[in-house]
Amino acid sequence: MRHKKMGLALTMKLRVPHPDLRIRQSIWSIFVLILFLAQPLYAQHGHPTEETPLVKPASPGARLVSQLHFKPLEFTPPKAQRKVLSNGMILYLLEDHDLPIVNIMATIRTGSIYEPAEKAGLASLIGIVMRAGGTTNRSAEKINEELEYIAASVETAIAREEGSASLSVMKKDLDKGMEIFADILRKPAFPEDKIKQKREEVLEGIRRENDNPANILFREFRRLLYPSHPYGRKVEGYPDTLARITREDMVEFHKKYFHPNNILMGIAGDFDTQEMLNKLEKLFKDWPKAEVSFPNVPPVQEEFHKSVNYIYKDINQSNVVLGHLAIERTNPDYFSVMLLNFILGGGSFASRIPEKVRSEEGLAYSVYSAFQTPRDKGFFFVNCQTKAESTCRAISLSLGEIEKIKEEPVKEEELVTAKDTFTNQFVFLFTSSSAIASHMVNIEYQGLPLDYLDTYVEKVKAVTREDELRVAKKYLHPNNYILLVVGNQEKFDKLLSEFGKVNTIELKGVD
Amino acid sequence: MNNIFSSGHFERKCSVPARLARGLVRHKVARYTLLCTLFFFLILAQPGLISSQELRLDVEEHVLRNGLKILTLERHKSPTVSLRIVYKVGSVDERPGITGVSHLFEHMMFKGTKLFGTKDWSIEEPLLKREEELVVALDKERGKGEAADQGKIKAVEAELEEVRKKLKDEAVKDEIWSIYLSNGATGVNASTGEDATFYYCNLPSNKLELWALMDSDRMKNMVLREFYSEKDVVMEERRLRTETSPFGLLFEQLKAAAFIAHPYGWPVIGWMSDIQGLTKEETKEYFTRYYAPNNAVIVAVGDFNTQEFIKLVEKYFGDIPAQPPIPEVETVEPKQMGERRVYVEYEANPMVAIAYHKPQVTDADQYPLEVIESLLARGRTARLYKTLVEEKRIAVMVRAYAGASKYPDTFYIFATPRYPHTTEEVEQAVYEELNKLRKEPPSQWELEKVKNQLEADFIRGLDSNSGLADEIGFYESIAGWQYINIALQRIKAVTAEDVMRVAKKYFAKTNRTVATLVKKKEEAAE
Repeated sequence: MRHKKMGLALTMKLRVPHPDLRIRQSIWSIFVLILFLAQPLYAQHGHPTEETPLVKPASPGARLVSQLHFKPLEFTPPKAQRKVLSNGMILYLLEDHDLPIVNIMATIRTGSIYEPAEKAGLASLIGIVMRAGGTTNRSAEKINEELEYIAASVETAIAREEGSASLSVMKKDLDKGMEIFADILRKPAFPEDKIKQKREEVLEGIRRENDNPANILFREFRRLLYPSHPYGRKVEGYPDTLARITREDMVEFHKKYFHPNNILMGIAGDFDTQEMLNKLEKLFKDWPKAEVSFPNVPPVQEEFHKSVNYIYKDINQSNVVLGHLAIERTNPDYFSVMLLNFILGGGSFASRIPEKVRSEEGLAYSVYSAFQTPRDKGFFFVNCQTKAESTCRAISLSLGEIEKIKEEPVKEEELVTAKDTFTNQFVFLFTSSSAIASHMVNIEYQGLPLDYLDTYVEKVKAVTREDELRVAKKYLHPNNYILLVVGNQEKFDKLLSEFGKVNTIELKGVD
Repeated sequence: MNNIFSSGHFERKCSVPARLARGLVRHKVARYTLLCTLFFFLILAQPGLISSQELRLDVEEHVLRNGLKILTLERHKSPTVSLRIVYKVGSVDERPGITGVSHLFEHMMFKGTKLFGTKDWSIEEPLLKREEELVVALDKERGKGEAADQGKIKAVEAELEEVRKKLKDEAVKDEIWSIYLSNGATGVNASTGEDATFYYCNLPSNKLELWALMDSDRMKNMVLREFYSEKDVVMEERRLRTETSPFGLLFEQLKAAAFIAHPYGWPVIGWMSDIQGLTKEETKEYFTRYYAPNNAVIVAVGDFNTQEFIKLVEKYFGDIPAQPPIPEVETVEPKQMGERRVYVEYEANPMVAIAYHKPQVTDADQYPLEVIESLLARGRTARLYKTLVEEKRIAVMVRAYAGASKYPDTFYIFATPRYPHTTEEVEQAVYEELNKLRKEPPSQWELEKVKNQLEADFIRGLDSNSGLADEIGFYESIAGWQYINIALQRIKAVTAEDVMRVAKKYFAKTNRTVATLVKKKEEAAE
C-alpha cells in the first residue's frame, strides 16, 4: 500500500531508519521478507497440489496432519488483458468493481545502468525530481495540493534497471488523476531550485550511509563484485558525480526514454476496459512513438577471485556478507536455482544455513542466502549479523553448508518441502487485481515468456535432485567467494585471515 | 521485484525493517489504515456497495465457553484466509528483572509442542528435565566464583553436552515452520508489542483445519525447547535492532526518559542483562498465566464460512481450560513536571526524537490527535514537511505519530536535520509549528483533506485480508475491535477548535521529553 505510506516514502530515500512506534519485536522479520523477495516474484504460482505429501511424518503431530483431508481449491485467477495502444504503449488491464479505486503501475525501459559513470545518480535524481518538481503545466505545489485533497497519489522512481510511475486514485477522481499522472510522465519541469533541493537531500542520505552497518556492507559488496560494471555503482550516485549533473542532462535523459512505446502499464480497478482504452488513446493522442536507442552496457565479466575484506566499525555485532557472481533472471536454470536456494538458505527455518547458524547455535537473528537475478549476471550471497565473538564461526558454518550442498544431492524430503512451498503459496499471487496486473507487466518487462504464470507450477515440479546437484556444482563457489565483514575484529573469535589474505577497506566520510 | 538490490543501498532490504519486520511493518501500516478504517463500512462480499451511507466494519464476534473470543470477517476474493491469534500480554505486563520475557516467549512458540517438533515426547521430556537440572547446578557452582569446584563443573558440563546431544536426536527441527510453509502458508510470523503479542499466518482457504490443529496445540502443549540457544538469538536481535542502530538506540533512550514509572518505559525486547538472566522457570510461569483462552482472541479474514469456522475453533480450542483473569497494570505515570532531555552519543549523524505524554487510545482526545498527526506529517502538503523540508530546507525527514495504546502513552515527532543544520534548529522549527496549532485553527481545506485521505485509506485497506486482520487484532488488543467503528465517527467529527484545544493541552514544554543523537566524534573534539 504505497499510497498509504506516502509520507514515509518521501523520507525512505534518505535511509533514515523507520521509527517503529509500537516497537514490536518480531520473530522473523527480516527473514520473512527476504524469503519473498529472494524467491521469484511468481514463486507461488501453479495449481495447488493436493497429493499426499511425500514427506514421512516425523512427529506425532505430523502424523495427525497427514490424516487431515483438504478439499481441493477451486479458483480460476482473473487474467489481465494485454492491449497495445496506437502509440505503442503496452497495457495490462484488469477490471475489478469491488472497490471504487483505480491503480495504474507503469514501467519504463530505462535505468541508471544507462547513465554515464561520471554522472552516477542522474537517473535516480530524475525519478525524484519528476514528481517533486512539477510540470510545465502545473507547479509542484499545485500538484501536491490537488492530489492530496482527493487522496490520490502519483509517485515516480528510476532504479538500476527500470523506471516506474504509479497512480492510485478514487474512481470519482479518475480523470483528474490520469491527467496529472500523464503530465508528470510527459512534461516534468525540472526546475533548478527543486533539482538543487533534491540533490542536497540525496547528499544528506549519502552522508548518513555509514551510520548503519547494513548500508556499508551492501554498498561495498556490490563494488567488490562489479569493479568495472554499472552494477557496481550506487544508484544514488556520489558527491562528485551528483555535483556534475545539470538540468540539461536531466531533460535530455528524460527525453530519451519517456516515449509511449517504451512504457508498459498495468491498470487495475473500477473501470470499463473499453472506456479506459478510449480515455488513454485520447489522453496520449499527441504523444507519438519514437525510436529509443539504448547505450551499450558492457556485459558483466564472469570472473571469480577470492577476496577477504574487512571494514572497521566500532560495534558489538559483525555484519557479514559472502558471495559471488551467479545467474541472470532469464537463465534456464532459474527454477532449479531458486529451489536450491530455498533448501540452502532462502527458506528461513526450513533451510540449512539458518537452521545451523540460528536455530542450532543461536548465532544470529537474521541469516539467509539469496540469488539476486537482474538482466545480466547477478549474484549469490549469504548475509548475517552475529556478535563479534562468533563472527568466524558463523562464516565457517555457512561455507560448510555451501560445500555440502555441492557434494551430495539434497534429500528427497527437502526438495518436496521446497516444491510444495512454491506451488501451494501460488494462490497468494492473486489476492488483488493490482498485483495480478503488475505481475504481467513485470513478466513482459523482464523478458520472460508471457505464459510464465501458466507454466510456473510445472516448471517447479519438473526440478529433480539431479538438477539441484548440477546447479549447485555450477553456480556455487565456496572457494572463490568475496567475503566482507563490517565490525570490530579485536573481538572476533578467530583471525579473519583464516579465510585468506585480508584487504582492509577504510571508510571515508562525507564533509 | 526479485531485485532486492535494486539500488546500491539495498533499498528493499532496508525497507524491510519497514515491512519486514513483517510484524513490525505491518503494524505500522495497520495503524495508518486504521485511521481510515475508521471511516467506512463496506459489505465486502457484495461489490459495489460502497456509498456514503453507514460505513463501518462488520466484524462478527463469538465467545467460546472458555473465554476464547473469535472475530471473523468473510471476504471471498481469493481462496485465502488471514489468521491471527492475539494474546493480550506484552512488555507492559513485565517487571524489572524479566523485561523481554514476552518477546522471548513469542520466539519459543515456534519451537514446537508435545506433538510437534519431537519424535517422541515421552523420551524427550525427562531429557529436558535433566537439562534444566544440570543448567541450574552449573549456574550455582559457577556462581561460587573462586570457591567453585572445577571438577564438578567439568562433570556437569560433560553430562549437559551428552543430554543435549540426545535432545537433538529426539527433536524434529523447526517442524511447525516447515509444515506451514509446505502447505502454502505465507506471512508465518509473530510479533510482540507493549500491550499484546500477535501470531500471524495466511493460508490457502482449504487448510484451515491445519491451522486449528497446530495453533490450538501451541496453546495447549507448548514446550520450551531449545530455550538457551533461542535466548542467544534474541540477544542477537537486540544487537541488530538496538545496539547497532542509531535510531534504535535513540528511541529506547527516549522512552526510558519519558516514562519514570509506567512499564512503557522499558524496551519490548528487554534489557540485555534481563534477557541473559531469564530462566526457564520464569518463562514457563508466564505461559500458564497469560497464554490462556480467556486472554486470547482469534481473528480470521477471508474466504471461509463463519459458522463452519466457529465449529472448527470450538472443536480444537474448546477444551482448553480458562485461567484466572489477568489484572490490569496499576502503575500510573505521574504528571511530568518539566522538560526532560537526553543525549545519545554514537558514531552517527544527528537525529532528534520528541515525545509528549497523552492519554490512552480510548480517551476522546485521541481523535483530534490523530488529525494532528496527519496535519503535521502526512504527505507533501503536511505542515512539518512543508516547513522543515521544503521551505526552510533544514531537515530531510519529519514524522509524527499519535500513538495508540491501552494505557496513556506519548505523541511522537522524529526529525532528521540536513547538514550543516542542527537538531536545535530543527527542534525550534517543530515547536513553531506546534505553537501555530495552539494559536490558529487549521483551515477547512486542511481538515477536509485529512478526512478525505483517511476515507480513501480505509477503502484501500479493504483490499487486503492480512491488513484487515492485523487491524482488527491490533485494536481488539488495546480497546476492543469496535473502536474502529467508533473512531470512524469521532474522527470525522473533529473540529478546528478541537485541534487547537488538544494542541494546547499536550504540546507544552513541561510535558515533553527530547532525545538527541549526537555524533560521538564531534563531541570528543570539544
